[in-house]
Amino acid sequence: MPVKQRNGDQNDRFPMGLRVLAVDDDPICLRLLETLLRKCQYQVTTTSQAVMALKLLRENKDKFDLVISDVHMPDMDGFKLLELVGLEMDLPVIMLSAYGDTKLVMKAITHGACDYLLKPVRIEELKNIWQHVVRRNKFDSIGRNISNNQENNGCGATDGHGSTETNIYQKNERFGKKEEGPTR
Amino acid sequence: MNSEIDRNKLHGQAGLTRQSLFDQGYLDEQFVQLEELQDDTNPNFVEEVVTLFYRDSARLLANIEQALERSPLDFAKLDDYMLQFKGCCSSIGAKKVKNECTQFQEYCRAGSSDGCTRTFQQLKREHSTLKNKLEAYFQLA
Repeated sequence: MPVKQRNGDQNDRFPMGLRVLAVDDDPICLRLLETLLRKCQYQVTTTSQAVMALKLLRENKDKFDLVISDVHMPDMDGFKLLELVGLEMDLPVIMLSAYGDTKLVMKAITHGACDYLLKPVRIEELKNIWQHVVRRNKFDSIGRNISNNQENNGCGATDGHGSTETNIYQKNERFGKKEEGPTR
Repeated sequence: MNSEIDRNKLHGQAGLTRQSLFDQGYLDEQFVQLEELQDDTNPNFVEEVVTLFYRDSARLLANIEQALERSPLDFAKLDDYMLQFKGCCSSIGAKKVKNECTQFQEYCRAGSSDGCTRTFQQLKREHSTLKNKLEAYFQLA
């Protein structure tokens, strides 16, 4: 499988070669997930333990673009992992569960998950996950551009337009706008 | 045997066996997803996953069996075990077994010991029936 070189614009690589860390304590689900992700031509690392996942991420967060994790795991609650990844590595995290309970989905989104997939996961859903990474990279650069512009214009305080942009970004991050149309 | 499964080419007994598994509701669409993942890089994927399932589910079922021997029953724990088991079942498309899981969970929520015990027996029967049928199918396919 051809692996694209990392160049200046990260988004050139996608979707092939997307580096995914998959976490699920259930061996069947993990094997299935791994095979589906490989079929999408992503680079996949798997682990059955949340603790190990954190270790891998802490060792080198630049090795991964995205994390997919089960909600129910024995060694660490999936939501805890989600929080820690968000805080420490700021990588997009997709939650997986056999339960589609609205409260659970809400909990995942409010804890920062960028998506919530129901098991058994279908390949069609995984084919779109790279969009979460691109979207995040794009918002990151918008945020940087805005603060750069403000510095250049000598604005101490944020102007109306600037603060609206960053506030929308923060709100999206917090409430995780879940698109139905284009991403599906 | 070709590693890719061309359903049109699966003739004779293998094709019929496969079709009857779907027709009789033992398997659902998810099983087809597994078949579609089988290719030259994963030539025995379906059988591999099914084998994994039976190994893993034996463990989960033993946990549930043990938990059902407690008195009084810890319905929350049973529900949790069943959620895990159900996840496995849905991964391979084990339709009838999955339905028993759902039934079991409903009895957990209703706090019915009787319902849980009865359903669990039924579940084990379905689980075992499917295993036999799949084993027979893999011999042919």
